[in-house]
Amino acid sequence: MIRFDDVTKTYDPTSQPALDAVSLDIDRGEFVFLVGASGSGKSTFIRLVLKEDRASRGAVYVAGQNVANIPSWRVPRLRRGIGVVFQDFRLLPNKTVFANVAFAMQVIGRSRAVIRETVPDVLATVGLEGKDNRMPHELSGGEQQRVAIARAIVNRPGILLADEPTGNLDPTTSMGIMKILDTINQNGTTVVMATHDDDIVNTMRKRVVELRGGSVVRDDAQGIYAGRPEAMAG
Amino acid sequence: MRVAFILSEIGSGIRRNLSMVTSVILVTFISLTFVGAAGLFQLQINQMKGYWYDRVQVTIYLCVDNSSEASCAAGPVTEDQRAAIEARLESDQFAPYVDTVTHETQEEALVHFRDQFANSPIVDSVTAEQLPESFRVSLVDAEKYEVIDEAFSSEPGVDAVSDQRDFLEAIFRYMNWASVVALAIAGIMTFCAILLIATTIRLSAFSRRRETGIMRLVGASKAIIQLPFILEGVIAAVIGAVLASATLWGASRFLIDGWLVNTFPQTAFISSQQVLLLVPVLILLGALLAGISSLLTLRRYVKV
Ligand SMILES: Nc1ncnc2c1ncn2[C@@H]1O[C@H](COP(=O)(O)OP(=O)(O)OP(=O)(O)O)[C@@H](O)[C@H]1O
Ligand SMILES: [Mg+2]
Repeated sequence: MIRFDDVTKTYDPTSQPALDAVSLDIDRGEFVFLVGASGSGKSTFIRLVLKEDRASRGAVYVAGQNVANIPSWRVPRLRRGIGVVFQDFRLLPNKTVFANVAFAMQVIGRSRAVIRETVPDVLATVGLEGKDNRMPHELSGGEQQRVAIARAIVNRPGILLADEPTGNLDPTTSMGIMKILDTINQNGTTVVMATHDDDIVNTMRKRVVELRGGSVVRDDAQGIYAGRPEAMAG
Repeated sequence: MRVAFILSEIGSGIRRNLSMVTSVILVTFISLTFVGAAGLFQLQINQMKGYWYDRVQVTIYLCVDNSSEASCAAGPVTEDQRAAIEARLESDQFAPYVDTVTHETQEEALVHFRDQFANSPIVDSVTAEQLPESFRVSLVDAEKYEVIDEAFSSEPGVDAVSDQRDFLEAIFRYMNWASVVALAIAGIMTFCAILLIATTIRLSAFSRRRETGIMRLVGASKAIIQLPFILEGVIAAVIGAVLASATLWGASRFLIDGWLVNTFPQTAFISSQQVLLLVPVLILLGALLAGISSLLTLRRYVKV
C-alpha cells in the first residue's frame, strides 16, 4: 500500500537529511507504528506519503503509484485516498461537529443526501453519537480528536495517517483513541501512526518501525517501544 | 452542492474580512470612476474634434485690385488663373485631401461680411470690390491642412491661404494633453486597485489558512480551494464598478445635461446616454482586475 524505495529527503543541504535512504514496505490492511526521537523524520515520512513534499532521492509509492509521477492536478485525488489526523486536531472552530465532518465531503462535491446519511454513521463509529451540534470548544480533547478521525475517514480512504494523534491526550483518553484506530484498521484501512507514546506501542503489539536520524534502525512485526526517555522530549 | 458550498465559503469570507472587502469596493469604485472619467473625456474630445473637423475650411483668397502680396503684383486674378486653381483643387492629386470646394465671389463675401459684422459701423463703408473672392476648401482629414497651404500659396493669382492652423493646433494640443493626464491618473488608480485587491486576497487567504489547509488534506481540488477567494474579490470589484458607473452617470447628468449644455449651447457635448455605454466596460474591467490580481496572488499564497 505504501512503499518507500531508498528515499532520502533533504530540507537543507547543509544539515543532515530528515530521511536517509529509507526503504520500507507497508501492506494493505497493516497497522504500523512509526517511532523515534523528536526530529527523527516521522512527520517527514507522512508528508512524503501525502506528496506535501518531494523526495530528494528515491521513490515513494502509494497504492502502487509513484507519487512523483502524479501531476499536480491529480494530487487532490491522491489525498482523497488518504485520511490524516494530527496532534492538534485541526478542526474548524466556527463549525459544529457535524459541519466539520461534512466539510470533508462538501469540498469533494458529495451530495447533501449522501452527507446526511454518512456523517452520523461515522460519528457513531468514533463514539460521538448525539454530539453533532456541539462546537469544538464544547468538546474535550479526546472528543475533538474523535471528530478529526471521523473527518479523516468519512470519505473511506484506504490509508489513515496519524501524526502523534494522542500527543495532547491523557493515557485513558489515548487508549480510547487507539481503540477507534484499531477498529478502523480491522475494517481494512491501512493505518500508519507516528508516536512517542511507549505505553500505547507496548499495549497494541503492532508492527513497529523505529527511525533514528532519518534512518530505519528497527522494524519489528509485533514490537515494543524500546528507546525511551530522550524520546519524550519532543 | 458544490455551488452552495462555494457560495457559503464566499459568504463567510466576506463576513470575516468585511473591512478589507469594503476597502476593495471603495478602491475599485474610486479608481474606476477615474478610468471612466478619462474614458468620458476621451469621448468628449473625439466629439469635439469631429465637430471642429467638420467645420474646418482652408480658404484660398484670390488677388483683388488692392492686394499687397507679392504674388498679386500682376494685378487681380484672371479668368484663366481661377480656372487653373479650381481644376487643380479638383484634380486626382488632391482628391485624397479635398472633400468639397466652393467658390465665393466678391458679392457673396460681402454678404458674409455684413452678416458677421452686422452690429459694426464699418459695414456700410465696405464694398464688394474691397473683399477678396476665395475658394472654400473643406478637407477629408482636417489635420492635413498644410498640404493645401504648401501647394497653393505660391500659385499665380492666389493672395493668401488661411488655414486656421494656430487656432486648431492650440485646441488639440490642450485636449490631447488633458486626455493624457486623465489616462495617467486612471492608470495609477488602476495600479493601486490591483495592489490593494492583491493585499486583500492575501489577508483573506491568511485568515482562512486553516480551512484551506484542511481542504488540501481532504483532497479538495485547486479550483474549489481558490474559487471562493477569487469570487470574493470579483464580487467586491464589481460592486465598486457599479458604484463608479452610478457616480459617473449622476455626475454627467448633473454637469453635462444640467449645466454645460445650457451654458455652452454652441458646443457638442456627449450625452449621459453615452455614459451608459461605459458601464459594461467598467464592470468587465473591475472583474478582470480582481480576477487577475487574485489569481496571481493565490498562485503564491494558497499552496495546493
Ligand atoms: N519544512 C522543513 N524545513 C526544514 N527542515 C525541516 C522541515 N521539516 C522538518 N525539518 C527537519 O527535518 C528533520 C525531521 O523532522 P520531522 O518533523 O520529520 O521529525 P519528527 O520525527 O516528526 O519529530 P517530532 O517527533 O518532534 O514531531 C528535523 O531535523 C527537522 O528540523
Ligand atoms: Mg512530527
